[in-house]
Amino acid sequence: MNQLIEDLEDLFDNAPCGYVSTGPGGHIIMANRIFADWLGRARSDIIGRRFQDFLNIAGKMYYETHFAPLMRMQGFFHEVALDLVRADGSKLPVLVNAVERRDEKGALSFVRITIFNASDRRRYERELLEARRCAEKANAELQNLNRTLEERIAEAVEARMKSEAALRQAQKMEAVGQLTGGIAHDFNNMLAVVFSALNLLERRLAKGEDVSHFIAAAKDGAGRAAALTQRLLAFSRQQALAPEPICANQMVAGMSDLLHHTLGEMVRLETVLAEDLWQVLADKNVLENVVLNLAINARDAMPHGGRLVIETANSHLDEAYGAEHDVKPGQYVMVAVTDTGVGMSPEVMAKAFDPFFTTKEPGRGTGLGLSQVFGFVKQSEGHITVNSALGRGTSITIYLPRYSGAPEARNHSEAQMPVCGNGSETVLVVEDDEQVLTLTAQMLRDLGYHVVEARCGEEALGALSAVPAIGLLFTDVVMPDINGLRLAEAALERRPDLKILFTTGYSRDAVVHNRLLDPGVNLLQKPASLEQLAAKVRTLLDG
Amino acid sequence: MVFAHGFGCDQNMWRFVWPAFAEEYRIVLFDHVGCGGSDLRAYDIGKYASLEGYADDVIAICRELDLTHSIFVGHSVSAMIGAIASIQVPELFDELIMIGPSPRYIDDDDYTGGFSEAQVHELLEFLDDNHMGWSQAMAPVIMGNPDRPELGQELANSFCMTDPEIAKRFARVTFLSDNRADLDRVTARALVLQCHEDVIAPPAVGAYVHQRVSNSAFVLLNATGHCPNLSAPEETILAMKIFLAGERSAAQNVGP
Ligand SMILES: Nc1ncnc2c1ncn2[C@@H]1O[C@H](COP(=O)(O)OP(=O)(O)O)[C@@H](O)[C@H]1O
Repeated sequence: MNQLIEDLEDLFDNAPCGYVSTGPGGHIIMANRIFADWLGRARSDIIGRRFQDFLNIAGKMYYETHFAPLMRMQGFFHEVALDLVRADGSKLPVLVNAVERRDEKGALSFVRITIFNASDRRRYERELLEARRCAEKANAELQNLNRTLEERIAEAVEARMKSEAALRQAQKMEAVGQLTGGIAHDFNNMLAVVFSALNLLERRLAKGEDVSHFIAAAKDGAGRAAALTQRLLAFSRQQALAPEPICANQMVAGMSDLLHHTLGEMVRLETVLAEDLWQVLADKNVLENVVLNLAINARDAMPHGGRLVIETANSHLDEAYGAEHDVKPGQYVMVAVTDTGVGMSPEVMAKAFDPFFTTKEPGRGTGLGLSQVFGFVKQSEGHITVNSALGRGTSITIYLPRYSGAPEARNHSEAQMPVCGNGSETVLVVEDDEQVLTLTAQMLRDLGYHVVEARCGEEALGALSAVPAIGLLFTDVVMPDINGLRLAEAALERRPDLKILFTTGYSRDAVVHNRLLDPGVNLLQKPASLEQLAAKVRTLLDG
Repeated sequence: MVFAHGFGCDQNMWRFVWPAFAEEYRIVLFDHVGCGGSDLRAYDIGKYASLEGYADDVIAICRELDLTHSIFVGHSVSAMIGAIASIQVPELFDELIMIGPSPRYIDDDDYTGGFSEAQVHELLEFLDDNHMGWSQAMAPVIMGNPDRPELGQELANSFCMTDPEIAKRFARVTFLSDNRADLDRVTARALVLQCHEDVIAPPAVGAYVHQRVSNSAFVLLNATGHCPNLSAPEETILAMKIFLAGERSAAQNVGP
């Protein structure tokens, strides 16, 4: 028995932890040697004191406010991290467990407190916390780095994009240079034809020979120059459009001869035309040109033959599509031109619409075809898409806004105009270019009209008062003193019954509202043939 | 009878006391915002930066429950919170029972609060270390992850379950406030219950409170520590009952 007690006492004193028992009043009644050693105090110094007396100040407070109440309520507490204060004032980190022991009647007999040395553990915890803090800091730095990296990349990308844009601009300017050269060259050729024809004409006329051949040559040269100007104006989106309600199906059907002729025998033409196709409001001539342009490109892409499909359909572009592609959502008429040709690489596709971009050999391609198509579509508030892959063919689809007005037959299509329109009325011609004035006046006189010439607005108004017989005012739009439109207004004030015909070679003018002709305004595009002039003047005077 | 818990606890600390009064009084128990089962979202840093914020809550509770001329029982910091509420709305409480009160914990020229400024700062630093008195390994468990069943639902769910940030702030207002001047303005009849060997609120502080609250009684309990309501509920109840039953003069004679 004594043996056992000795053994237990030894265990109690030399256990690897501190043992303390406190009585019901909280005073220490027993403490083991290890605990006394840790504190560096004699056991007699410890007995009678309270456990919290040996804690640091924070421990005292926490013991009183948290752990003592906790033990009182649940009978124990576990693993509370506290600091013991040794006799020499140094601290010993400990983990403390405590449990209440009660007698049969439930009265508190004592509290057993077990204390573990937690120096190592606390150090690990501190190291762990420190490691976590470091990790968090490193993480924050990394995030910061990422952020600045993103910024730096964004900057680099922006700089790169700027330089690319500059490069593109430079390339464009180079292309413009090339093209301007090309156009100048073409123009010179055309003008040479006109000049030499006129020279020959002059000489042959003097000798009284047959000159019809030279006249035809001159007209052809001038005609080609006029066509080239039209194309340039088209891609600069400055052509005067005369929109009318059109059924694209009819238009495509009407072009079939022209298309067959253009495509040649190697290319098969198919049309898939939707029933009940909506109308579009567009300039018929220009739209025909667009289709023709697309067909020519398709032909060029199929040197060994293939298939060309022209398809029409009613189409609805929804909000999402509209937002993504910068086009007004709504109803559109779709015209798609699809070929089975060589197709385009992504690089070519990216530039296909650029003016002057061409992959065709000099003389064959101008790079104006698609840009002209694009210009027209944008001017018509439409939309265009390209689908193409190398070796897979190309599909170019244009969408034109639906026209919901009543189909309105155009009063006169130029083709229907009388080819010859002679008359004897008096026409006032206003034109600041001396050459053009003389020529126009001559043409009208040839047609039998009396002509009064004026070189500016002021002169014109003078003539109007002086010559009451004037029935038609034929005026240029752009003039140095007042523009043609204002002149027409002033003239109409004096002579409300006066007929007005405008002419211009360049249509970013007052005549053009929103780049579309005002209905009711009569315009003769420069340069006009004698036939066109005759027809227009006749129609007006008769109207 | 409104019971208000002190720093470190929640309304559970009254569990041995309030039943003794349940027959005679309507019992009101609550947790301060940020403690126990309160809605932590209601914690407002600005409002609870001073004891007035807590006092406003006490007033709001009384208003809500339509309480006037009632009894306020406050432990530790809540003894002062009740005093402030009673100054602001005197008709709320006829009696204030202040258990272990302290109007200021830090010693001043001729005032003994029990702590030096350095000691209080040591405490607050200890808090900043986020130890909360629990080992790092234990803290998550205590904060409400009861995968250690021996800790008991009760503990895990409410008692000592405090948001560490809020606990820090509560400690800060508790230990840094100086409400000594308020004591003079208390008009309710007051009982100061003081324990032996209370390191938080030493007997000198209890005596100081008694001296400055004009209409007060002072009882020095045999109990030790800071929470006689837990460690010596019978003695606490008895002292309270005597105070509530007696006239002012009688109450003054209670105690050693
Ligand atoms: N249907 C098509 N198939 C393949 N490539 C095409 C097609 N249409 C246009 N392209 C490419 O786009 C370029 C530009 O076309 P475009 O603007 O019409 O000018 P051009 O026909 O004078 O070259 C063409 O040179 C060609 O490389």
